[in-house]
Amino acid sequence: MRTIADINDKINRHCVVVWTIEELKARVVEAGVTQAATEVDVVTTGTFEPMESSGAILNLGHTDPPIKIRQCWLDGVPAYSGFGAVDLYLGATQVAESSDGEEMRERGGGYVIQDLIAGKPVHLRAVGQVTDCYPRASFETTITRDTINQFYLFNPRNLYQNFIVGVNGGDRPLFTYLGPLQPRLGNAVYSNPGAIAPLFNDPDLNLIGIGTRIFLGGGIGYVAWEGTQHFPLQKRLPNRTPIGPAATLALIGDAKQMDARWVRGCYFKSYGPSLMLGVGIPLPVLNEEVVARCAVQDQDLVAPIVDFSIPRRVRPIFGLVSYAQLKSGRIGIDGKSVRVAPLASIYLSRQVAIELKQWIEAGKFLLSEPVAPIPANQTFLSQDAWGSQIAID
Amino acid sequence: MKKRVTLTFPKRSVQMPVTYRLAKDFNVAANIIRAQVAPNQIGKLVLELSGDIDQLDAAIDWMRSQDIGVSFSNREILIDEEICVHCGLCTGVCPTEALSLDPQTFKLVFTRSRCIVCEQCIPTCPVQAISTNL
Repeated sequence: MRTIADINDKINRHCVVVWTIEELKARVVEAGVTQAATEVDVVTTGTFEPMESSGAILNLGHTDPPIKIRQCWLDGVPAYSGFGAVDLYLGATQVAESSDGEEMRERGGGYVIQDLIAGKPVHLRAVGQVTDCYPRASFETTITRDTINQFYLFNPRNLYQNFIVGVNGGDRPLFTYLGPLQPRLGNAVYSNPGAIAPLFNDPDLNLIGIGTRIFLGGGIGYVAWEGTQHFPLQKRLPNRTPIGPAATLALIGDAKQMDARWVRGCYFKSYGPSLMLGVGIPLPVLNEEVVARCAVQDQDLVAPIVDFSIPRRVRPIFGLVSYAQLKSGRIGIDGKSVRVAPLASIYLSRQVAIELKQWIEAGKFLLSEPVAPIPANQTFLSQDAWGSQIAID
Repeated sequence: MKKRVTLTFPKRSVQMPVTYRLAKDFNVAANIIRAQVAPNQIGKLVLELSGDIDQLDAAIDWMRSQDIGVSFSNREILIDEEICVHCGLCTGVCPTEALSLDPQTFKLVFTRSRCIVCEQCIPTCPVQAISTNL
């Protein structure tokens, strides 16, 4: 029906038809898959949610005399420096330390990344190992994104294809990566924006692969690899969407181009700091199958309700619930009506899809062909307390 | 009867033992709800005063005569629109549903009249967009 080259040609000639994922779903309801597929070239999807497996690579540029950094703090947040002399990796969940080494759990790497992207100055303190080629022992300065050589996000796991709904069946409050969970099923939290989320609309990753150009934090980024904990073999519904956490992607993109509106440091009480990130993926309408997959609605998608009061890797679940029910604000668990709140911003997820649509319409963003597929058959190994197991099935 | 008041102390009054005077001179019990007091700064104190109605009024008149600002306006929850990302996490812990998401736009809606200022939303907010006016 169309190739990515055809679509890029239309983008360059400013005659491309781009719809957000919600515009497409509405059109399919109105006119059907076949008709919608003839009308639209690209569909934009987006999400804005905490993605804690994120971080930034910084290359400072060399000092004179040069230093081989072995320990480093950015606004008090330790950055990993066990590689190139002035290469740093600043993790989103790394907790800040005060000058006397005390942990300051309410501040972390995510906030420093946001501040750098916002153009704010950040204090840097580094301790070096003195060698013949790197004679300097220490270095202290103030950096901004414009005074460091390179600054890009490299996120090992973003964009979970589906996730879970957290509840607390115990009798004390729990503080989790989904926020506070009140005892005796006091509240529930889900973290995926449902039918508008990128990977629900390409469930088998037929369109998205390594090298796919994306919207990352307000700049242009790319799919770098499968994400950590990528689990494409999760059980799936007949519409191919998974019933729990499944595929994930590793993403990369130049942070110097990003906008702090889409990259937000955050903190979960008594859990720790993290990073909220806006990510958008364009889906090329290559054939009708693409539109059929993108037509999926919240009532066709489910997530498992997981009890966090059992502190084990495999926690008991209370069954599956549809995203339509989740978005209604209340779900029934064991005959009890429980208030449920999202953790992804559905409002900002939509804004990402709208912004990406505008970029493509304006000719600022071309689609790319993936250079390799994301693995579709990959088992999931865990570390168990009593020796390791190797899956043989 | 009980009255909830917010007191604002000018710098020079911070040294005065106000709750002691309320108890000793007016037989008014002062339960401190919130306080923000430091040397050489304007202090703020939220009190729940309980006592006889005439003595409460006399106590409030006396505090005003000492240049202490007395306001009856209750604490309020404030949401910084610039910081809020409309994730909605706060809506799940709000017992009165004063915080909710608009079912169409999914933007955060705060219905102030339903808020009981329990403050559970404040630590829940992952981007620190919620505070009280004290």
